[in-house]
Amino acid sequence: MKVLVVNNMAPFVWGGAEELAMHLQSNLIISGHQAEILRIPFQWEPSRRIPSQMLMVRALEVANVDHVIALKFPAYLLRHPRKTLWLLHQYRQAYDLFDAGQTNLPTGSAGHELQSVIRHGDLQAFSESAKIYTNSEVTRKRLRKYNGFDSEVLLPPVNDPQLFPGGIAGDYIFAGGRVNGLKRQYLLLEALALADQRVRLLIAGPPDSPEDALRLQELVERLDLVDRVKLDLRFLPRAVYASYLNQCAAVAYLPYDEDSLGYVAMEAATAAKALITTADSGGILGLVKHQETGWVAQVNPEDLAMAMNAVYTCSEQTSCYGQSARILWESMNINWPETINSLLQ
Amino acid sequence: MKIALCSSYVPFIKGGARNIVEWLELMLQEQGHHVERIYLPQVDTPDLLFQQMCALRWIDLSMADRIICFRPQAHLIPHSHKILWFIHHIRSFYDLWHTPYRGFQDDYKISGFRDALHHVDDVGLREAKSIFTNSRVVAERLKTYNRIESEVLYPPILHPERFHSAGFNDEIVCICRLEHHKRQHLLIEALRSTKTPVNLSLFGVSSSSEYLHSLVDLISELGLTSRVRLDNQWISEEEKVSRLSSCLAAAYLPVNEDSYGYPCLEASHSAKPILTTTDSGGVLELVDDGVNGYVVEPTPLALADAMDRLYLDRARTVAMGTQASEKISAMRISWPHVMQRLLQ
Amino acid sequence: MNLLIFTPVNANSSIGGVTALVVHELIAQGCHVVVVSTESRDLIIAQCHNFATWILPWDDELVIRSLIQSADACIYQIGNHFAYHEGALRWLFEFPGLICLHDFYLGHLFASWAELNRVHADFILDQWYGSELARQFFTYSDSQSFIHATSQLMPMTEWVCAKADAVITHSQWGCGRVLKACPGPVLVVPLPPDSIIYPIGIGGSEGRTLNILAIGHVNPNKRVEDLLEAIGASQSLRERAILRLIGHIEPAVRQSLMVLASGLGVNLVIEGVVDENNLINAIEQCDVVSCLRLPVLEAASGAVVKAMLYGKAVIVANAGFYAELPISCAVKIDPDINNLQLSSALEDLLNDKAKVRRMGAEARRWASETFTSKHYAHQLIALVARMHSVIPINRALVNICLMYRHWSPVRAFLDSPEIMHPLRIFDITGKDI
Repeated sequence: MKVLVVNNMAPFVWGGAEELAMHLQSNLIISGHQAEILRIPFQWEPSRRIPSQMLMVRALEVANVDHVIALKFPAYLLRHPRKTLWLLHQYRQAYDLFDAGQTNLPTGSAGHELQSVIRHGDLQAFSESAKIYTNSEVTRKRLRKYNGFDSEVLLPPVNDPQLFPGGIAGDYIFAGGRVNGLKRQYLLLEALALADQRVRLLIAGPPDSPEDALRLQELVERLDLVDRVKLDLRFLPRAVYASYLNQCAAVAYLPYDEDSLGYVAMEAATAAKALITTADSGGILGLVKHQETGWVAQVNPEDLAMAMNAVYTCSEQTSCYGQSARILWESMNINWPETINSLLQ
Repeated sequence: MKIALCSSYVPFIKGGARNIVEWLELMLQEQGHHVERIYLPQVDTPDLLFQQMCALRWIDLSMADRIICFRPQAHLIPHSHKILWFIHHIRSFYDLWHTPYRGFQDDYKISGFRDALHHVDDVGLREAKSIFTNSRVVAERLKTYNRIESEVLYPPILHPERFHSAGFNDEIVCICRLEHHKRQHLLIEALRSTKTPVNLSLFGVSSSSEYLHSLVDLISELGLTSRVRLDNQWISEEEKVSRLSSCLAAAYLPVNEDSYGYPCLEASHSAKPILTTTDSGGVLELVDDGVNGYVVEPTPLALADAMDRLYLDRARTVAMGTQASEKISAMRISWPHVMQRLLQ
Repeated sequence: MNLLIFTPVNANSSIGGVTALVVHELIAQGCHVVVVSTESRDLIIAQCHNFATWILPWDDELVIRSLIQSADACIYQIGNHFAYHEGALRWLFEFPGLICLHDFYLGHLFASWAELNRVHADFILDQWYGSELARQFFTYSDSQSFIHATSQLMPMTEWVCAKADAVITHSQWGCGRVLKACPGPVLVVPLPPDSIIYPIGIGGSEGRTLNILAIGHVNPNKRVEDLLEAIGASQSLRERAILRLIGHIEPAVRQSLMVLASGLGVNLVIEGVVDENNLINAIEQCDVVSCLRLPVLEAASGAVVKAMLYGKAVIVANAGFYAELPISCAVKIDPDINNLQLSSALEDLLNDKAKVRRMGAEARRWASETFTSKHYAHQLIALVARMHSVIPINRALVNICLMYRHWSPVRAFLDSPEIMHPLRIFDITGKDI
């Protein structure tokens, strides 16, 4: 089949959704289909522009395509008789973020009108789709709450699981992924200061801004953790990241209220590594069961320190937790062939 | 700079313009620019075209420093610094209008549509800060139909330094799609009338199994199986470089093509002369008879005669090959020149 | 050109008569024409005009539909009388086309149509005139008050013209609403007068008087005041010229003009709106007709052409269509009206009645050779060709509006600069989309 993956484009910005689209395309091809990605430029500032952007998508004509998989608003407004949604993003600023006052929609009647246009557009797109999937439970709930549509959660798989066979546990806890305030790597440093001397930490990943990197560096200085922490703050080549993960003792990932499991958590489970997270981290709690597949700590340095200590207390147990994490992860059946089957039903 | 490259396309159809866009993207990135490639789907039927053109008008690329537009109707995307590298019009309504290839019957509805399209193109083209075309043929059309001047900017090939000459064997190669309008059949017919043992090698895929079979049959009928090699598959870049490096000459004789075509350029980079015909259109912007190749009547006899000359007068053949290579710089077909013109 | 023409065919329909003449000319100019009769089914047609081609009934769904597909244009003759135009409405609302608008006021047509389409009718009234007025439309107890109220504020011209790809109207009165509603080109072409019989005598006033007739909607505009002042500036004109005004006039304007005339010592007669017969009488009795308004469109005012056909010289502003009138029958005044020039021109006419009569005869000759059904047919064909260059974008906009309607009222689409501004590139007629 000729499958067109349709996504937004914020020109010159490349993020997780773009990566996902690329992996979806290559896996579609591996499954024997022809696949291309259509990226549609979307400008949402100022918000009064949004209706024209919606119309732009709606007025496009697509020929020579058997099936469309659309990922975001307003890309999913593209007209096609066989359309599946894999909802990564609605326009949250018209929904939950509007309620929270964190929106670029104006106040008053102008804002309500825009909201209405977006809702009606969504209603139309959802109604005309053959099937709707979301990439997380949170997104699924939001869709139900705000638009009244049911959907199925379809978690994006790990893109290259063969890179994460795991391995002998080293002496460090690995904290991978983007570095910023919401990911809360600083909390790990505060916890490390209270933890046993033998606990070591490796924080590696791209900082969103120089300030984010600076914050961690200063904290390491101030808490006198220089010999127990390695900071590798940059975009890591995949092989480097994989080796950090495969050789660690456990993986720590404790973002604030994230929608999805998080690639770091999925890759950790693939590599059979135990996971440390916090009670308010959101989606990752689907994979981290306290004292079964890892530790779920309260959101304070003391509790987190205890969890970090526990990694070293009994290495067999830690290894066991890691194996259980892998089993739990595999039982979720989240892999590309299954994913593509679902999308093309 | 942040540069957006914009073009229209049909999903899953690989067109010639994709190379221009994608190679330009690579070259711009090598120079350190941020490039975004925007391909928008388009269906060229009269009852849907204006609706899609409205969509193009709503595209906001203001975060780009400039945009470069290629296939129609991408030139309608608004931007304060818009540059066109114009490849062709929607030809049914322009240069093919008065020909049997128009594809639409002539009635008032279609004429009205054509007038409307011309009007919108006239205005849209004038929004551009500069207009470049890929050949003189297309520049002429812009002048004739839209009364607008443009500059010819020849598209180079990617990493031309890959191509080289390693000697001259007895083989004339033709590396392009096997299609009726590319006229490989003419080359086969010509070979039958040659007096020298010159050979022919045809490489390429075909969209028409009918044409492909007709070529196979022709080779067999004319008893040329030992002298014609027909390789019906997509040739790799490495093999292409190799074939061109050792061949006697390259042949490329499409019917009235818009531009010279990459095969000619590849041959020229390989310092090989080009065999073509008087009715090949844009190819003649590159090939001069007796200078960097032979331009003959599109008949088997004329072609056969040229093939024999290539075989017999080796010194001349080699000299023409050298000229072919030098012609490239004379015509400024290079990425530095392209970048300089597009980014001035 | 293949044309499908929707028209009354009844022998007692003047619209039918004019259309028949035009159809003959269209055929003579090489068109293939098929006529569709639009009279209501229960209207018995005793005798038809001669169209020299096939006439089909409008309710033959299959045949008409197939003819529409192969026609280059559908041409709809529209007037105010439902019994004659029912068939035209039925097809117009499904297949937009070129409308020949015979009546600017369509209140009765709409009211009859609304009998079977009430909900839709309410929506239409609301859309064009707002809920306040819409509420009132069906509340009038008698015919007079209905006409009086609706002709000013709810003439229903827009309802029909919105469905046109192009409109030919026969005078520029009420063109404002046509222009506002019709997305395509609007042309004013005077009706071919062939079917009208003109008196042989030229008429005019006796003796040394100059009877000046001004026809048209008398806005509080400078033009009539200019005429008054021009007449007032000359003693001989004051004594021997009469200015007669025919056409709609606001009471306040009437009052102020009478006061001005009185102050200037000018003989002014204000008739207001009159019916066709009285208009013809007034034209016959006058010596010269004045139309000093600048034309809105580059085409003829029906009244001026009518005056010329009745053998009257005309006084016009030297602009637009009027600039092309030959000076042998038209007195042309600079568009920035120069009262001195006007006064002097009027004096010339006053002092040479023979010249006035000669100019009138020339006017009749020239107009009857120019405004023929041949001319009309020619204009129609040109307009059809022109219309087709506007239809593609108009259809695209309709499609897009339909898409938008799923999300929001269409009004918001048209009111949004973010949506409309980038589309200006498609503006082929020079009008706002």
